[in-house]
Amino acid sequence: MSESLTFMMGDFAAEFPTDRLYAKNHMWAIRMENEVVRFGFSAYAVRLLQDIYFLEFGIEENALLRDRQEFGNIESKKAESGLYAPMKGKVVKINEQLLNDPSGINVDKYGEGWLMEIQGDSSEMLSPAQYLEHLAKAWDVAQRTIKGQANTIESNEE
Amino acid sequence: MVSANNGSAVSNSLLVVVSQGQSRSPEKRSLEDAIATIAASLPNTTSLVVPHLYDLDADSQSVIKLREWTGPIVILSWLFDRAGFWVLDRHEIRGQHGEVQLLNTDIANEDDDEEDEGEDEKAADRVANIMVRPSRRIYSIDMRAGNSADVFAAEFRRILECEQLDAPKKDLLSLDRFLKPTNSTALSMDGSGRLDGNSASPASHESPLGIVPLRVDEHPQRRWYPVIDYSRCTNCMECIDFCLFGVYGVDRGETILVEQPDNCRKGCPACSRVCPENAIMFPQHKTPAIAGAPVDAGGFKIDLSKLFGAPERDEDPAEAAARERNEQLILAGRAAVDFNPVSAELVSGSTAVATVDSAYTKPDRKPDELDSLLDQLDSLDL
Repeated sequence: MSESLTFMMGDFAAEFPTDRLYAKNHMWAIRMENEVVRFGFSAYAVRLLQDIYFLEFGIEENALLRDRQEFGNIESKKAESGLYAPMKGKVVKINEQLLNDPSGINVDKYGEGWLMEIQGDSSEMLSPAQYLEHLAKAWDVAQRTIKGQANTIESNEE
Repeated sequence: MVSANNGSAVSNSLLVVVSQGQSRSPEKRSLEDAIATIAASLPNTTSLVVPHLYDLDADSQSVIKLREWTGPIVILSWLFDRAGFWVLDRHEIRGQHGEVQLLNTDIANEDDDEEDEGEDEKAADRVANIMVRPSRRIYSIDMRAGNSADVFAAEFRRILECEQLDAPKKDLLSLDRFLKPTNSTALSMDGSGRLDGNSASPASHESPLGIVPLRVDEHPQRRWYPVIDYSRCTNCMECIDFCLFGVYGVDRGETILVEQPDNCRKGCPACSRVCPENAIMFPQHKTPAIAGAPVDAGGFKIDLSKLFGAPERDEDPAEAAARERNEQLILAGRAAVDFNPVSAELVSGSTAVATVDSAYTKPDRKPDELDSLLDQLDSLDL
């Protein structure tokens, strides 16, 4: 892999290769041919999720997605989340391999663990440096969100 | 075939079915194995492991085998117990609700279907009270209800007692099993299903009489369709009117049914939101209330959706249903339709496409708006 930038999530050093772009919702983006962009989870997302056990796509190939439209969901050891379109466009490919073994994301998040390919305008994607700025702003919120929910869960279990 | 010995003995034993989850979680897999193994060791009990119940279709070997079983059934799945019961019912594996004491405590509460049945003013209209199910009992257990096989075993023993199958009076059966090939062997030899010895945990071979859980070896594709809780459904036909994808139909007795489940649009739970009786479940939906939980009690894990770009919404169920349906119509290359929640009248019109689109294509949000999301989360703190 080429060079990368590092963002400290507490003690964890999340690496972000500079050979690609990033979406605000913590996916990386590699521009391919014909306006097709391949997406996968950034190290930031994978660190929050940890071991991924389950992935479901709520769409099929050729679906048209609006920006931030929900297209599936993911569950890991520690968390669960909907999946939201990183940009508007047509889904041209889904990584079906991940359905049977979503741990592929943990194993090779920047390579074989890619999620999907969308054809559309990717001009809104962030450069690695811009993404790191975005992370610096988002990190406090992320921590508080997680802690807030963790408190709620604990109080429910009493 | 899955019958405990020969025909007549069927109702003299309990079938424990473990429905495997789709998740690769090692904790879940090992619990499934442990439950199936311990069930196989109990008296008068046959233990069967099937793939994820909800994904099975009508031709599945698991479904065919389950339909042959006429005695009591315990179904364990990673679904809310209500969903597990009605998924089986949909497969024509029917019975009465067996009372389960081992509950998923994350959602356990007073709103139990069966308890309010007595004073239910609509009781007479409920489909299940008109189309009465067979008398044998089906006990549906959410596997999230316990962390160790022991608590499940205790529940199985309690159920065996309820069914009067706990006593050693069934010695004949056990002896029969011991002397003749066990029913598990019979299954493995009948060619239509097989015992998958490789998947059985080693411990299972040490169980009494060498009985191991039976396993149906099939690998269904993932599915998505609504499941009707007929103990709630009043046959009002709101769902058939609302769904524009031809999922619903009626049987000869004009009772609503999910006629074309695979017409359903993956991920879309819209019809469950318009059901006035909360009788429609999507067992795989992440919202517990839609997935069959008694009430909306939130998730069991940290929900990262808002960090991963979930749009902020403030809409009532009717609006959500209309939006979700329009999203699916557009995905299917069809025109969206207007929905007037007040009169519940549908007005078709292609101009609505633009309206819907602009309403939900909101400008990108800056991180400061995430702060307000956080405030919402904090206010949820109970």
